[in-house]
Amino acid sequence: MKEAARIQDVTFRYASGDAGALDGLDLTIGQGECVLLCGGSGCGKTTVTRLLNGLIPHYYEGDLTGTVTVFGKSVRETAIEALAGTVGSVFQDPRSQFFCVDTTSEIAFGCENMGLPEQEILRRVDRTTEDMHIRPLLGRSIFDLSGGEKQKIACAGVAAMLPELIVLDEPTSNLDLDAIGELREIIRNWRAQGKTIVITEHRLGWLEGLCDRVLYMEDGRITRSFTGERFFSFDTEQLNEMGLRALRTAHPYLTSRTGLTQIKPFDGQEVLTLEGFRYAYGKHTALAIDRLTLPQGAVIAVIGHNGAGKSTFTRCLCGLQKGFKGKVTIGGRTYRPREMLRQSYMVMQDVDHQLFAETVLEETMLGAEETDLAAAMEILETLQIAACKDRHPMSLSGGQKQRVAIASALMAGKRLLVFDEPTSGLDFRSMEQTAQLLRSVGRELTVLIVTHDMELIDRCCTHLLHIEGGTVTHDLS
Amino acid sequence: MAGLFTADIENRGLVLDPRTKLFIMITLVVFALGGAGSDTAAVRWGTVAVSALPIVLLLTARSYKTAAVSGCLYALVKAAELCLVPHMTGAALSVCGMCCMIVIRLMPGLLMGTYMLSTTTVSEFIAAMHRMHVPQQITIPLSVMFRFFPTVLEGFASINTAMRMRDIRLGGKHAGKLIEYRLVPLMVCSVNIGSELSAAALTRGLGTGVRRTNICRIGLHWQDLSALALPVGLYGAWILGMIGVIG
Repeated sequence: MKEAARIQDVTFRYASGDAGALDGLDLTIGQGECVLLCGGSGCGKTTVTRLLNGLIPHYYEGDLTGTVTVFGKSVRETAIEALAGTVGSVFQDPRSQFFCVDTTSEIAFGCENMGLPEQEILRRVDRTTEDMHIRPLLGRSIFDLSGGEKQKIACAGVAAMLPELIVLDEPTSNLDLDAIGELREIIRNWRAQGKTIVITEHRLGWLEGLCDRVLYMEDGRITRSFTGERFFSFDTEQLNEMGLRALRTAHPYLTSRTGLTQIKPFDGQEVLTLEGFRYAYGKHTALAIDRLTLPQGAVIAVIGHNGAGKSTFTRCLCGLQKGFKGKVTIGGRTYRPREMLRQSYMVMQDVDHQLFAETVLEETMLGAEETDLAAAMEILETLQIAACKDRHPMSLSGGQKQRVAIASALMAGKRLLVFDEPTSGLDFRSMEQTAQLLRSVGRELTVLIVTHDMELIDRCCTHLLHIEGGTVTHDLS
Repeated sequence: MAGLFTADIENRGLVLDPRTKLFIMITLVVFALGGAGSDTAAVRWGTVAVSALPIVLLLTARSYKTAAVSGCLYALVKAAELCLVPHMTGAALSVCGMCCMIVIRLMPGLLMGTYMLSTTTVSEFIAAMHRMHVPQQITIPLSVMFRFFPTVLEGFASINTAMRMRDIRLGGKHAGKLIEYRLVPLMVCSVNIGSELSAAALTRGLGTGVRRTNICRIGLHWQDLSALALPVGLYGAWILGMIGVIG
């Protein structure tokens, strides 16, 4: 087998002090091979992808020793732009890898940068869209696409440059199950074309049957190596022991009936009654639920396919949707949307958007009814972040930031907490911690979790709320 | 209508070349705002006609509401300036005269700006700059900046949502810190997105020494020529007025 890339005895530390340092890493990737890199957060797998596409050492600074060659070119001596035609990269967040506002220009962007003749670019755009079956997406506005569609356009933009090696860094972090299925098809297609592929991932199940080799990384080294067949025969216990997510979950929840289903023992009696949950964007009805009761104090997973109305539902429930006129009854009292705003809190996928203060303690006290220091400390204590009470919230890890957001909600006496994809991009250990946290919070107040993460649901949710087509009485057949 | 350079390309009606839009914009600045040639009657009436052009353009871009509201406002104010203001005296004259002047001089330019930003895509913008021989060193940073606006605005919207849930608002408990509370998370997110965006741009070859191709088709079509007829005519009338052919 011809060699596509070779990493020899590479040690690297980020100048910024970020996690993910490498410690004497050796790796040879053959041409046409599909390699999966896995391991816990901070094990260095993303760093490996950055070595291959030249972002290290040309963009991320740090101390690099050892050699990296890609198709015979030394990465250190080749300008990163010159590697662009050879190595293509797909990143985690589709939001931060687009330059154009329309899909066609976006697919052509890389080729335009290479200065190819116009006719050649048009031919490549045409072939790529044909290969990937994305003709209906051409000429659309990027801002109207779903996360999955955006990721497909990102893949097309990379494919149009005809790279020999494609690296994908956690490409499914922000995708739902349907979109992951489509990404799988794209990678299968690339494999058939003989491209060399390197993927880092936390979610593993979708890669079954695609990978030739699976490398397990710990502390900046490859500590175990498996053939694809061997790796994908592991059971959940073996994977969890290595700190990896399960390949498949026991319950395919999305195929279950719509509406509310209890999936774990739960003995609460009180309920929240939702009435008149109807909402439309112009002529498009997004939500049409006349009456629904939710158990109080439960942890409820809100699931449904893309565009089912999950986020409209939670935004209405929290009183965030303008023009929404429904009402919620809790313990005999009826709340209008404006009042629900005071009863509820939403922890967003991007927690950075909701941390304002200079220290964790100040942040917690911010939404409080009165300046009750003892109560705030108690909450920080329960959430195990009391030790960082004087740190700036932005200096914390993702999981800690989530806890700070929860602390501020608890302190403000909120009775309903909504989480939007709290485990996207988390490894097994962090996911497990989040699950424990959500379960413990759930006893005191009602928790709704909008998620595609079936493993998280298995671990912490007592109920499922399956929404399709904006209702809970949708006929799934 | 979408915001800065986020043109809704699926549904934007008649497409004009960015250079046409720029030319109309300059004409509006010269005549409506600058009041060039206002001693010639033909130029005065021509300026009114050109001032109505952005309203027509907004109609072609399917922003019916903005066009209708601003059209009515402009017509009313212009009528007031012509019929009422000459009969006024004293304080009424200075106040009304001032208001009329501000609306009549500024509004066309502002409307044209709105139209220009909301109907031009980044690729069209770069292509137009390229045709006008503006160097790549200027166009590339500008285009990345334009790409950045909508993302920052998105971030700003979610920060506002979070603030509403935390009851931090004008007149609330923390009114004094409103700006600081908004800026810190916004800056952190912008820095993160900016650095990811740059990394992605590099891996896709932006900034290579070679001359960039641009597949975006721009060019002067019949709609550009018809939109240009009026402004060009106005410059003509101005020149004729200056050399004394018309009065």
